[in-house]
Amino acid sequence: MNWTLAIPEIALSISGLIILLWGAIQKKGNAFFPCAILSIAAFVAVGFLTLTVSNGVGYNGLFINDEFSRYMKILIIIAGFLSIILSIDFNGKNDTNCFEYIALIVFSTVGAMVMVSSNDLMTLYMGLELSSLALYILCAIDRKNVFSAESGVKYFVLGSVASGILLYGISMIYGFSGGMGYSTIHQIIASNHALSAGFAVGLVFVLVGLCFKISAVPFHMWTPDVYQGAPTPVTTFLSTAPKFAAFALFLRLMIGPFGHLSPQWQLLIEVIAILSIIIGSVGAIAQTNIKRMMAYSSISHMGFALVGLAAATPDGVMGTLIYLTTYLFMNVGTFAVIAAMSRKGHVVENINDLAGLGKTDPGIATAMAIFMFSMAGVPPLAGFFGKFLVFKAALGADLYSLTIIGLLASAVGAFFYLRIVKIMFFDKAVEALDQRSLSLSFVTFSMGTLTLVFMLFLSPMIQMGQIAAQSLFH
Amino acid sequence: MNILNTVGLAPYLIVSGLLFTIGLFGIFASRKNLIVILMSIELMLLSANLNLIAFSSALENLTGQVLVMFTLTVAAAESAIGLAIVMVYYRNRHSVEVQDATMMKG
Amino acid sequence: MMPIILFYIFAVILLLSAVMVVISRNSVHAALFLVLAFCNASGLFLIAGAEFLAILLIAIYAGAVMILFLFIVMTMQTNLVQLKEGMQHYLPVGFCIAIVLVVELIIVAINWHIDPNVAEAARQPLLQNMSNTKALGSLIYTNYIFLFQMAGLVLLVAMIGAIVLTLRKRPTNRRQVVARQHMREPNQTLEMRSVELNKGVDDLGGYLRPKETYYGIAQEDSFGPKPGDKMDITEKRQEREQSK
Repeated sequence: MNWTLAIPEIALSISGLIILLWGAIQKKGNAFFPCAILSIAAFVAVGFLTLTVSNGVGYNGLFINDEFSRYMKILIIIAGFLSIILSIDFNGKNDTNCFEYIALIVFSTVGAMVMVSSNDLMTLYMGLELSSLALYILCAIDRKNVFSAESGVKYFVLGSVASGILLYGISMIYGFSGGMGYSTIHQIIASNHALSAGFAVGLVFVLVGLCFKISAVPFHMWTPDVYQGAPTPVTTFLSTAPKFAAFALFLRLMIGPFGHLSPQWQLLIEVIAILSIIIGSVGAIAQTNIKRMMAYSSISHMGFALVGLAAATPDGVMGTLIYLTTYLFMNVGTFAVIAAMSRKGHVVENINDLAGLGKTDPGIATAMAIFMFSMAGVPPLAGFFGKFLVFKAALGADLYSLTIIGLLASAVGAFFYLRIVKIMFFDKAVEALDQRSLSLSFVTFSMGTLTLVFMLFLSPMIQMGQIAAQSLFH
Repeated sequence: MNILNTVGLAPYLIVSGLLFTIGLFGIFASRKNLIVILMSIELMLLSANLNLIAFSSALENLTGQVLVMFTLTVAAAESAIGLAIVMVYYRNRHSVEVQDATMMKG
Repeated sequence: MMPIILFYIFAVILLLSAVMVVISRNSVHAALFLVLAFCNASGLFLIAGAEFLAILLIAIYAGAVMILFLFIVMTMQTNLVQLKEGMQHYLPVGFCIAIVLVVELIIVAINWHIDPNVAEAARQPLLQNMSNTKALGSLIYTNYIFLFQMAGLVLLVAMIGAIVLTLRKRPTNRRQVVARQHMREPNQTLEMRSVELNKGVDDLGGYLRPKETYYGIAQEDSFGPKPGDKMDITEKRQEREQSK
């Protein structure tokens, strides 16, 4: 058994345990800050481990490491790392600076990494549950806040239903193929041309579970409420790491074991992508709360990223990977700005609270403008390249209607992104926001710079994306 | 013991399908009390377990039973967390009615 | 023949109690029906040859999870009468969807046939000669050790979650400091008084624990009279008499 394949996950779990122990034996003072530093160090170390660990299948076929999983794991680790940095300062404000918070983010990241590396439906299920159970707690962790508790309840109920449906689907697929390994399923589908109805039901149920996790459209209802209620660093984590993991599963399952069925599921993915883009873009317009707006924005981003999967070609998968990378930078940057929004020590979340930010704090307003332009897909910024690559792949696969609808919807989406820029620079200032802390400034400006200069390292990114995508197609 | 020799596979699948639907119905249609919703989730997981056991027996393959074991673990963890979250909610709102969970709208 | 009869008995009770879980107005009844449902489900597990899991199901659900449910239900003291409302509004739509889903799943179930090649590939003859428990044990500690460890992490997360969400440091929490309790001398807390006949402690001027040791034993943030509070019972008695 080649157990070294899972070294990054093992190392991260052990550091989570050390953080718990450290917090538990700490008698005086608050263990939050040392634990946060410890976890940041752990994330950096695990990032390097992930880069160096070898490829292969291990643990009796349960676990796989390839270029694709490495790419996605690095994204997930960066997401966890940045959410911890955001929470260092933010959690002091609402009294959630407990060391359990850090440990839960670490364990949720472990779950997400296991999901990415799953080579068996059982690994998928356990990874998904580990990552979601930790997230349910994180959503409700601000327990004196009614909104946080309500968001925890909503996320828990709908998330458990989704994982129940997923498990039912897994059982159907198991009954059809006699095993849960992706390779077994792949062989059975390749040799069996007539598919039974039971298998189709199982496939649809698994898709439903995964669509819920990435908040694609028929299963997106939870997103705005949960995003609004959860503390901002948790929202940041929620909108990145588990979505990347679910997306990785989506790509791995659809291209790998279900690859032979692509004519059957392609249309389904196309419809989901179109609906997500449209509902995300239209829903965001009416919002006054910036976190709700970001929720709808993330729904539409997931739709755009699904366009690459709908193409079902290596280029499409590469486009999706690049899209998710740019989404990580823009999204975390925007949430860092949102986390910095407070007035007299109270968190404010209305879009109108940003009014006049261009005069009172030009630095952060510029960074926010960069993120908004990038999300709208304005050319030299990161977001443009992501959209360009997925639509190029869609055109390559002759998905013309998808491309046209997607481009029209992104024009609608540009409206509400640009509205924020207008509010920041042209509306009258109400009152200056509080002085932002060093950690938030660090995240905001580093993400802003990355979004701005993404084109400089576009070609190495595309190369890495291509290698990762190729590893899925064998 | 192979169920194909005794009861057959279809009755098991029908029972689990009915159980799954009852659970799903309990969550979305009854919409009353969060505790009952948690119980309905348990019913859904039970139906999936029943399916897995039936297939495992019919295929004479133990993988399904291993997954059931892990699912039971997860289900227990899930109900513990669910009840903790419901408790937090109750302390804030003094209610566990689903209709009251409407603080956020838009 | 016997397994078939037992199957139908268990299955019917299982489904009826599941329906009762969903429609019963009283959360406590719902929890008890859930126990019944799980007991019958474990019967179905037994018929399918999964003995170990049948026992596990009863041990975990009837033993642990249900106690948790009942504990929470009784802690909350919800108004039981309110539970019936809101049912009717979604009922027709939900019912239609449920019927469609059931019909679909039943069609799938009836038409299900296992491919002989698949069954042949999936069969594990080595495990057939072992008892169910032994076979499961021989799998989870070898082939599925990775998932076994993951299950451990899931339980750990659940434990952290339950603690972090529900444990509150209230001012009324009174925790012991055992070391301080052991260190104090008897004469700091005990005092001998000779009480006359027909007289109580009140008539001797009241009796209170020495202040220094009182604050020494309890933790600083714990509940108790603050320094400066009226501690003297005679004053309180005077107040009571004046109010009469």
